[in-house]
Amino acid sequence: MLAAAVVCAAVSNAVAGPERHLRWIGSYEAAPGGTSAAARPAGGPQPTPAASSSVTGAAASSAAARAFPPHPEKPWAEISGDDVVSLHERGDVPILDARRTSVYREGHIAGARPFSIWESDVDDKVKAFFTEGHDPSQPIVVYCSGGECEDSHMLATKLHMAGFDNALVYKDGFPDWQKRGLPVHTGDTP
Amino acid sequence: MNRRFLSPWVTVRVQFVLAAFFVVAGIAKIADPPGFAHEVHNYQIVPGALVNVMALVLPWLEVITGVCLFLGIAVRTSARILGILLAVFIAALSINLARKHPVECGCFGTAKVQKTDAQRLTDMKWAIARDVGLLLLVAQILAASRADVRRP
Repeated sequence: MLAAAVVCAAVSNAVAGPERHLRWIGSYEAAPGGTSAAARPAGGPQPTPAASSSVTGAAASSAAARAFPPHPEKPWAEISGDDVVSLHERGDVPILDARRTSVYREGHIAGARPFSIWESDVDDKVKAFFTEGHDPSQPIVVYCSGGECEDSHMLATKLHMAGFDNALVYKDGFPDWQKRGLPVHTGDTP
Repeated sequence: MNRRFLSPWVTVRVQFVLAAFFVVAGIAKIADPPGFAHEVHNYQIVPGALVNVMALVLPWLEVITGVCLFLGIAVRTSARILGILLAVFIAALSINLARKHPVECGCFGTAKVQKTDAQRLTDMKWAIARDVGLLLLVAQILAASRADVRRP
């Protein structure tokens, strides 16, 4: 029966779409407390000078870089709703939603992109995000549902492993954003 | 009394109830493997690398054993597997209850409604009570089939 269950699981997983597909081996570790540096793979992608210069030119960016300095020694730093509001107002800070895509569709921070940590295409999304040429020392806001939700911390760890040194976890997450009455978008697009 | 409790009439109905429960629960999880993986991870018992394997295989095991029970195929083996699963579920919920770590049961896939920690802890107690009840049904099937085996 176990063998039959494994075969059925393999077949159903093979035909599942990206939102339902799972990699057989998960990697859901989040460094506890964000205080210890996650080990980066030696052959992992490194930022190119051209990529770095594409975002650092903006004066606003350097101002925020002072306010939220990179933290290469740890995968994330937690920030408050007020911090997220100021970063959101800048307009050039990527905001990534770590919740499920189906939940993202129902409502997300205006401008946020879906990066569900539980869906199998998250690594591809992180790689694509890297190749977009974001400066790895610039802030990236990640969020999930606040409270005990760890999805944003896991996504921050993935970003850190990919070479990004300034992932900022919105501690209170989307419920806090909604409570503040700030702009929310629905649907598949940011 | 004991003979009535172990009668085929009772046993068949117990098999149907268990089968229905596990088939429905399994299908709900199969519909959304990443959601179930999330729930499994939240229990903080299964190592990260094994979360997805469990989330993919366990629902199918529930459905297959449920269908076998319904059809009366390999009844004792199916009942034993479901008994082991229920014991594992009860242990997982109890461990988290003991450490006051509220989790969604995940028994029927991903929860759609946001709950408070207190609500989750209460639901966990009810889930344990329900699983103990189901474990008693498994015991009835095993006892009845054992009596069948002994009967000349």
